[in-house]
Amino acid sequence: MEEAEAEEQQRFSHRQRLKAAVHYTVGCLCQEVALDKQVQFSKQTIAAISEVTFRQCENFAKDLEMFARHSGDCFCPLRRHAKRSTVTTEDVKLLARRSNSLLKYITEKNEEIAQLNLERKAKKKRKPEDENRDFMELDADVVGSDS
Amino acid sequence: MEEASGFRKELVSKLLHLHFRDCKTKVSGDALQLMAELLRIFVLEAAARGVCQAQAEDLDVVDVDQLEKVLPQLLLDF
Repeated sequence: MEEAEAEEQQRFSHRQRLKAAVHYTVGCLCQEVALDKQVQFSKQTIAAISEVTFRQCENFAKDLEMFARHSGDCFCPLRRHAKRSTVTTEDVKLLARRSNSLLKYITEKNEEIAQLNLERKAKKKRKPEDENRDFMELDADVVGSDS
Repeated sequence: MEEASGFRKELVSKLLHLHFRDCKTKVSGDALQLMAELLRIFVLEAAARGVCQAQAEDLDVVDVDQLEKVLPQLLLDF
């Protein structure tokens, strides 16, 4: 069937594009490390790290999905949890459980991100109020200049 | 603060959705940002451990031979 083949080809290209994007980011990160440590990375090494990272994403994705779904499978008599279909930061933290230092770092990063987002939201709320104030000042100036 | 390289949120989202079994599964914005950070750490660890191995072998290039030696422990730590 031609359609199945075309779909297969599309899926393959999509996968290749993602791999290329990962490869680019990995290259940038390796360049930073190379500069910092004054050591070079061979092209094959960068390609290998890129491949491993891409494959690790599959494990991460499947785990994250399971964690979210599993949150609904507890037989707690006090609360009925609905199975979640949205992966949250708590699920991501579970991914980092195998290394204490990693878990600590990720937990701190999570708090940093939450704090930054809170500040950004606070800024957004302030903006419309500022605009109203400017408008009123403009009116006062106009009145002032007439007299 | 300097913007270091990292994984873009859209890329992380596409990478995860590629492997989700349920099409209804979504990822919160905060979780995407955290995942981007996790992936960044993964790559930096792989690179840094590769450098350690190369330095231990008195080399100034990290080749696949060095990476192969640090990969098993890296995968166990993640």
